[in-house]
Amino acid sequence: MPSNTLSPPVPAAVLCGLAGWVPPRVVTNDELAERLDTDDAWIRTRTGIRRRHVAEPGQATSDLAVAAGRLALRSAGTDSVDAVIVTTTTPDRPCPATAPVVATRLGLAGAAAFDVGAVCTGFVYGLATAAGLIASGVARRVLLIGADTYSTIVDPLDRTNAIIFGDGAGAVVLRAGHADEPGAVGHFDLGSDGAHEELITVAAGGSRQRATGGEPTHAERHFAMRGKEVYRHAVTRMAASARTALSEAGWKTDDVDHFVPHQANLRILHSVADDLDLPRERCVANIDAVGNTGAASIPLALADAVARQRIRAGERLLLTAFGGGLTWGSCLLTWPELAPHL
Amino acid sequence: MTTYEQIADIIAKLHDLPAGLTRPEATLGELDIDSLTTVEISIRIARDLGVTVGDDELQPDLTLGGMADLVDSRRTTTV
Repeated sequence: MPSNTLSPPVPAAVLCGLAGWVPPRVVTNDELAERLDTDDAWIRTRTGIRRRHVAEPGQATSDLAVAAGRLALRSAGTDSVDAVIVTTTTPDRPCPATAPVVATRLGLAGAAAFDVGAVCTGFVYGLATAAGLIASGVARRVLLIGADTYSTIVDPLDRTNAIIFGDGAGAVVLRAGHADEPGAVGHFDLGSDGAHEELITVAAGGSRQRATGGEPTHAERHFAMRGKEVYRHAVTRMAASARTALSEAGWKTDDVDHFVPHQANLRILHSVADDLDLPRERCVANIDAVGNTGAASIPLALADAVARQRIRAGERLLLTAFGGGLTWGSCLLTWPELAPHL
Repeated sequence: MTTYEQIADIIAKLHDLPAGLTRPEATLGELDIDSLTTVEISIRIARDLGVTVGDDELQPDLTLGGMADLVDSRRTTTV
């Protein structure tokens, strides 16, 4: 091949559709206080959460994912994609993956469809996965949905976790484009540390628990989190990951118009922002209205901020997440023009 | 800035407490500082003051003055 032949540029993944969807049922702090030893002020000052949305009995993660996915496709002005990725910690079933049924219900049967599991970092991992499918030419357009129904794995009488988590789904459509156009996602930093897998778990339901034998206990069937250790890891890992992504891109902290972190706990978000020397006002937070929605939290926060015109085209965003695994990740993008999704 | 003033600064930032509520003899329990906040204080002491204090050392009966003494003792021993 002649040495002066230029290879076609590797396509970048460009965000071209966005939507969020939460189930209608709202659970306020006061409602939780009726069954748990807590009160509204305690929850608000500890977590920044005022209310959360909860799926109805019989409503599965795929139902939320389909609702968000449909709106995201409408936002992108398309009814076809080459791949559907669902990132979730609460799949409809251990087998099969949730993405194929979501794809079919969206009229996308035939598209590649699979789940990505990285707990609350799932959306950033999913973005990187989608970007890889597009860069490799496997897909020209990808629907990525972060969806979780933590109400199905959190013990309703577990005060520590029941106050934090909510159900929801957020979705984006990514298309092949150029790395220098608004909406192009890039400069990923992804990481993990399995030595701390015990910090965030559902012990039962997988091959590990089955291998040890015996019927799972009530606690083993539910979500568990070692709060103090998770808090320390979340703050330090998120700040470090954000710094790595910024450094890769040659951005300074001051270049970031909006920091959009996984909505874990308002205190964690502020701590990371302080660590990065980012004014807290640049931290996009909707945790007060939806709680921690796992893999859905970043796209839900984005959809909320865009709907309120807090995020506008041309502004620069830093997305950073942390979750069980442990996993963490960050990426950067300049916000594109998007059509309203409703 | 004294170590106590640095500690008071960290606490005030966390809880958005009026400055008057932080005083050297105030205990963490009186300031309604919970276990996650002790982790946050521990992180900020390391980040801002360069001293390692474990969150398990920040018990409810510890005063802010006592915390400043703890930080100072670590500074002495680590120099």
